[in-house]
Amino acid sequence: MSRAQRIGIAFSAFIAFAVGLITLLSLLLGGRPELYAELAGAPVFASLMTLPAAVMLRLVAITSAVTIVIGISNLLYVHLGRVVRGAFFSIVMIASFALTIWWYWSKQGDTSLLAAVQVPIESALAALLFLSMVGGGARVLGKRADIWGLLFVTVLVVVLLGSLPIESLAPVRAWSDWLMEIPVSAGARAILLGIALGTVVTGVRVLLGQDRSYRG
Amino acid sequence: MTEGTIALLSFVLTLMVFSYVLGDLPLVGHLYRTAVYIFVGMSAAFATIVAYESVILPYLQDIQNPETSWTALGNSADVAIFATALLFGLLLLLKPIASLSWLTNSALAVVIVVSAATAVVGGLSGTLIPLVVATAAVPDGLATDFGALTNTLLVFVGVVTALFYFQWQARRDDDGAPVQSPVSRGIRNFGKIFIVTALGAIYATTMLTALTILAERIGFVFQFGS
Repeated sequence: MSRAQRIGIAFSAFIAFAVGLITLLSLLLGGRPELYAELAGAPVFASLMTLPAAVMLRLVAITSAVTIVIGISNLLYVHLGRVVRGAFFSIVMIASFALTIWWYWSKQGDTSLLAAVQVPIESALAALLFLSMVGGGARVLGKRADIWGLLFVTVLVVVLLGSLPIESLAPVRAWSDWLMEIPVSAGARAILLGIALGTVVTGVRVLLGQDRSYRG
Repeated sequence: MTEGTIALLSFVLTLMVFSYVLGDLPLVGHLYRTAVYIFVGMSAAFATIVAYESVILPYLQDIQNPETSWTALGNSADVAIFATALLFGLLLLLKPIASLSWLTNSALAVVIVVSAATAVVGGLSGTLIPLVVATAAVPDGLATDFGALTNTLLVFVGVVTALFYFQWQARRDDDGAPVQSPVSRGIRNFGKIFIVTALGAIYATTMLTALTILAERIGFVFQFGS
């Protein structure tokens, strides 16, 4: 690695640390005048503290929109290369993209194409998910024939049966309701807490420069 | 587009997607893939439209009007923010040039750390603190209601042991192999009951949603066909 590249990496790390720290402090301390109750101009100061985060969030919002456009341009570029070689599905993809853009602009924002094409395909794909999930549930018992696989399938069956509007299944529905209220609630809370802890720890690692995924 | 055309297109595309069930037959397999590529092309187009019309265009219109400002810094600051964002976008294009990749990385660093800072604050104030408070909260009248007391305790113990399940602790035996203490294994297994139960219920509710959509699609196909 050359000296210039090392300086470049150090520059990126410094920028990341400074911007991250300023944004974090602004998000935590901004817009809360009660924190500066002893200061004379507490509301004004609290409002000023929100400025860095507001600026950074707008900057990132616009940059993200630009990166989406760049990413889609890259997708089109790759498929255009395949169109030259006569790839049928790439032609379909490019034609679908071009038709949608043309339709939207020529019909002044008409979204009927969304209702006619996008929604039915999305719905049909979501419907196919049911078949895949039934297969997946059956495979759990086949490949994990232990107490945990059995518990998973039992809960699955109880919740499915409990959702049926059949009078004779009222006891199962009571079981299903209890499951959803107590153990499922506890498990889901733990999973959400785990995700939040993971997010916070990863975020702090990025802010401290321990995790420098932006180095590429 | 008329209602009839929309219904006809929906019918054809639904059948094209459902042809997946028939497997990878010579012509039928192409129908499913064609529908998926149409979907990808259209999604990319709508993503472009949304990115342009909902984000880039409003900001572009705002900076052209000196009377409006996003922040207390005035319109000139808005212009600077917009120009910087466009510059960041352009810097991303320099990624393939190795000697200039530090410029791309600096732009990416800003995007990543701002997202990380937002995620830290959002994770703390939006999930961690409210969930911990809700789990540790003691409802009124617990002393007289044994059922509610048991349920509250079960939720609390469930959350704590399920969180413990994610933490793997062990000591090494004489051969250097990791060995878990029976107590630790017991707590982890108790927590695993809650995790597996939650995953089973989430799986079941997702299946119910997919089943509802499947019933609606099949109903639509038969209704259109008749």
